[in-house]
Amino acid sequence: MRTPIAFGLAALVLAALAAAPFLVSDYWTGVLLGMTGYVTLATAWALFSGPTRYVSLATVAFFGIGAYTVAVLNESMAYPLVLLSAGGIGLLVALLVGLSTLRLAGVYFVIFTFGLAELVRQSVTWFEVNITQTMGRYVFLPFEGRHIYWQLLALAAVTLLISWGIGRSRIGLALKAIGDDETVAAHSGINVTRTKLLLFVISATIITLVGAIQAPRWTYIEPSIVFNPTVSFLTLIMALLGGPMRLWGPLVGAVPLFLLFEWLSVRFPDHFSIILGLLFILIVFAMPNGVLAKIEDVRRRSA
Amino acid sequence: MTAQLDITGLHKRFGGLVAVKDVSFDLQPGEVVGLLGPNGSGKTTVMNMISGALPCDGGQVRVAGVDITRLKPHQVARHGVARTFQLVRPLPTLSVAENVLVSYAFGRKRHWGSEARDLVEEQLAFVGLAGRGDEAVGNLTYIDQKRMELARALASEPSLLLLDEWLAGLNPSELRIGIDLVRHLQGQGITVLLVEHIMEAVRALCSRCIVMSTGEIIAQGPSAEVLQDPAVIKAYLGDDHA
Repeated sequence: MRTPIAFGLAALVLAALAAAPFLVSDYWTGVLLGMTGYVTLATAWALFSGPTRYVSLATVAFFGIGAYTVAVLNESMAYPLVLLSAGGIGLLVALLVGLSTLRLAGVYFVIFTFGLAELVRQSVTWFEVNITQTMGRYVFLPFEGRHIYWQLLALAAVTLLISWGIGRSRIGLALKAIGDDETVAAHSGINVTRTKLLLFVISATIITLVGAIQAPRWTYIEPSIVFNPTVSFLTLIMALLGGPMRLWGPLVGAVPLFLLFEWLSVRFPDHFSIILGLLFILIVFAMPNGVLAKIEDVRRRSA
Repeated sequence: MTAQLDITGLHKRFGGLVAVKDVSFDLQPGEVVGLLGPNGSGKTTVMNMISGALPCDGGQVRVAGVDITRLKPHQVARHGVARTFQLVRPLPTLSVAENVLVSYAFGRKRHWGSEARDLVEEQLAFVGLAGRGDEAVGNLTYIDQKRMELARALASEPSLLLLDEWLAGLNPSELRIGIDLVRHLQGQGITVLLVEHIMEAVRALCSRCIVMSTGEIIAQGPSAEVLQDPAVIKAYLGDDHA
């Protein structure tokens, strides 16, 4: 498809989605909100973890940091400033974490990021219990579901735009080269550490913002809610289902999985976790490269 | 004239093992020089220290007069040093053209866009892969992977090229092709340091050889003389043959 046509089409879809809250019930606006949140999370996650294959389970660490920053600051400054602070804190943490861990490879990186999420959660809990002595906070912002949804929609559009831009740029090529062979990449002139760090920070900052924007949705926030590791796993599996190496991959994975999880959690609230686990295994077994790659595969074989 | 590559007192230890001991030599612009020696004599370690893959424990590496001893691989690459690897290392998720494009995009002159695409096509034609840029790397034969790796190294527009057993594993007719390709590089004014075990190639390509054994240089000079040197024959074949 020609680029201008594709952009026109994307703008139309975006406009239709933005108009949706006026046409559907509050319940469906809520579903759209959650779905857009996960589309953004999965796309942001894949920005870094897709091409480099550094599987990060730190998603919820940054998501939670965003939400918690809003919970702490929402009464003391204007909302745009709160968002900016959340983004800034996420960026700083990502920079620190990136500098200290991007030398780790493979399974060590996975374990580290998982540990990081727990560490952040436990630290926040410890701080709240011992220092501020307020376990749990309230977020009072005058937002309805659709306001949050619009913000997330804008963030999702920006994230996709960033992903599109990176995919066409030198950095995109560098990331793919790094994912294939860091030694060869470095000897071709790519600054491997800086490229990885840059993408990790961009990805983590977007994830932090998703958490920050969604915070008012909960009204009451405590660490076990916003630092729930399921967020990391869901993001990961959505990106994997669609295909983390493609622009639309994470979106293609996030939309059906979110709807499925939504339905499952209503229909089988007690067995939700079991079904979730089974789905994870199924997806990894059946299409390790994602649905889009699978479709291409089948098409090529039948051609 | 400033030497293209000037190495003085290079030193490397791995724990208690001294892998490279006080190695010094230089290459003049446009020379093709062989770095020879039995397995484990430290040739690849020297290559790795030049390209920045391994830090040196002592000594200095200068490229066209610039000290690159402490630089990281990507910085060394931007100073005009390119290399191939002992075992071919294609980037498997990239197409043949993209493999070469990586070096154009991040090499010395940082090409991008349609200009870079044209250069990639030219480079592929030079190594004998004209029109095959869209193929998957996994489908290439061994010699074609070697061609691609050479194209990738050349795409960073180096003045010094390090070939680490680039001709190994080729059959006789492929070997002829390989030798011809390297000979063409000389015509472009690229200085080449090649680690090689295939004497036919060394004789055909290298005006000069440097021979290492257990981390030290034991002989250097014009190829024909060096290959007759008793110390060299002893290092390769043992006392009885010297």
